[in-house]
Amino acid sequence: MLAQLLINTLQIGALYVLFSLGFTLVFGVMKVINMAHGEFFAAAAVVTSFLVGLMTMQLALPSWLVYLAASIIAAIVVCIIGALVYLFGIRFYIKDLVGSFILSVGVLLVIQGAVLQGFGGAPRIVPPIFDGTTEIFGARITTNRLVISLAALLITFATYLALQATRWGKALRAVAEDAEAATLQGIPRRRVSFVGFMIATLLAALAGILTISLAPITPAIGEEYLIKSFIIVIIGGLGSIPGAVIGGFSIALIESVVGAYWDPSIATIVMFALVIAFLIFRPQGIFGRAA
Amino acid sequence: MRLERLTAGVVTAALIAALIAFSSLGPKNYAVVVLVWIAINAVLAAGVRFVMLIGEVNIAAGTFFGIGAYAAALLTTRTGVPLPLALLAGALAAMAAGAFVGWVTLRTKGAYFFLIMFSFAEIMRLAATQTLAIGGNDGIIGIFPPRELAPWFPTVIVVVCSGCLVALWAAERSILGKLFAAIRSNDRIVQTVGINVLGLKITCLALASLVTGLAGGLQAHLNGVIGPNDFTVALGVYALAYSKIGGEAHVIGAVMGAAFLTIVGQYTAGFNNLELILFGGAIVLTMVLFPRGLLGLVWVLQSASSADRRARVR
Repeated sequence: MLAQLLINTLQIGALYVLFSLGFTLVFGVMKVINMAHGEFFAAAAVVTSFLVGLMTMQLALPSWLVYLAASIIAAIVVCIIGALVYLFGIRFYIKDLVGSFILSVGVLLVIQGAVLQGFGGAPRIVPPIFDGTTEIFGARITTNRLVISLAALLITFATYLALQATRWGKALRAVAEDAEAATLQGIPRRRVSFVGFMIATLLAALAGILTISLAPITPAIGEEYLIKSFIIVIIGGLGSIPGAVIGGFSIALIESVVGAYWDPSIATIVMFALVIAFLIFRPQGIFGRAA
Repeated sequence: MRLERLTAGVVTAALIAALIAFSSLGPKNYAVVVLVWIAINAVLAAGVRFVMLIGEVNIAAGTFFGIGAYAAALLTTRTGVPLPLALLAGALAAMAAGAFVGWVTLRTKGAYFFLIMFSFAEIMRLAATQTLAIGGNDGIIGIFPPRELAPWFPTVIVVVCSGCLVALWAAERSILGKLFAAIRSNDRIVQTVGINVLGLKITCLALASLVTGLAGGLQAHLNGVIGPNDFTVALGVYALAYSKIGGEAHVIGAVMGAAFLTIVGQYTAGFNNLELILFGGAIVLTMVLFPRGLLGLVWVLQSASSADRRARVR
């Protein structure tokens, strides 16, 4: 039972973490709450599932190649959208909480409308990439979910390492910590912001691509993830990468425990209650510093 | 300067009087219906803007709007309390909720306050869907103003909403507004002078919630039907968009933004997906092209024409 609970937490949490990582990164580097983050996720999921369906019908390719090609195209499309959003909008609203929020809400509406217009609102179901189930310490999980969760964990770990060790990663963390001091050290703040935004967009796109075979895909799935990631970053601390990891898995744990015994909507209420209690005692989150 | 103030006051009064007269055409006239929506949205936007005076974003404005709506609607439909008393009770309920929530959440600021209010709005909506005593998911139906008042209800709404807007403007011009501005620029300094900053912040949120709740009660009786999903975070988001697009510098900005986006919304309402694109596009374009909103645009035109005049004098 415990093993099953942990496995459930792992598979729900891995994607939450991947999603929240980009959201918290953008806040850390630019002090921007990017409401369109969920739409990057949803657009990637819808485009990938559309392409998988199209290519399976039209081309006689092996299924792994279809998934790979669809994922790469979707990631590129979403990154182009992300770059446009940054260059023609977000760029002017760095460190402006209200302005960037409203702007990104506008972007959210435009992307959601465009995706609905282009691909329709009907749920798309993509067959699992891997068949069968795996048993770990007596807990059962479909091989598909296991592989996808491990992929999400791997991407998270790689991002974490890149932020710790590479030049750009260090520059990003420096800007997140103190933008003025980083500029004084000769770090090109604007370029670093752009790179940070693009990494976040790519992470959202990858999370979206990974979800396609786990649940029916609709253009509205982004919002659910976005609200969850709000809670995750409140718990972990806004802008904190380790906080996003811990917050993501805590939320997943609550969801799998409460969801296993009671109604899922009770799980959501419990989460919000936890957040409010949390904010009263520790307003800056686990890893956050006082604003 | 004094003459300009006086002129502005007279023009505003004349405009309000004209709108009130126009609203007497009654609820059957489409333009009057749109005017009434604009009036309610303007109060919602001005309430959000009022909290921005202390530098915080109250994204849960829709929740306080909903508390006012639910309280007023429950009183008129279930107990037969007269409408004015019910509206007042709704406004006071929203104010009490604002004060209590503020007491807890205003200890945080900036992004954290924003996110906690977002969570609060979501939890209240979820709780309302689960509470059968207030109608659960179905909400409340059959909320109407008294029959003899119905033809005049648009006028009532325009009068009350104008009153709310003027009251918010007056509060901003009073010593309270100066204190809010001081808190916005640096609340620690205000604290060191011995002023109760938390108390003032709570007052600000409570006053904003009072007018928002009043508008909510009006909205409930205008619509006839309310449910938990009418008062989501989206309402707060729109209110914020109204005040930002109109221009944050003055209450008039909130009114202009509400008018602009409500009218844009009327034109796009028939197009489904295009509605999202056009509404979102209007927000993005205004934010990118006129960062100070429609008010900023007015000022640019004004200063251009006065520069013109100066040039001609030379």
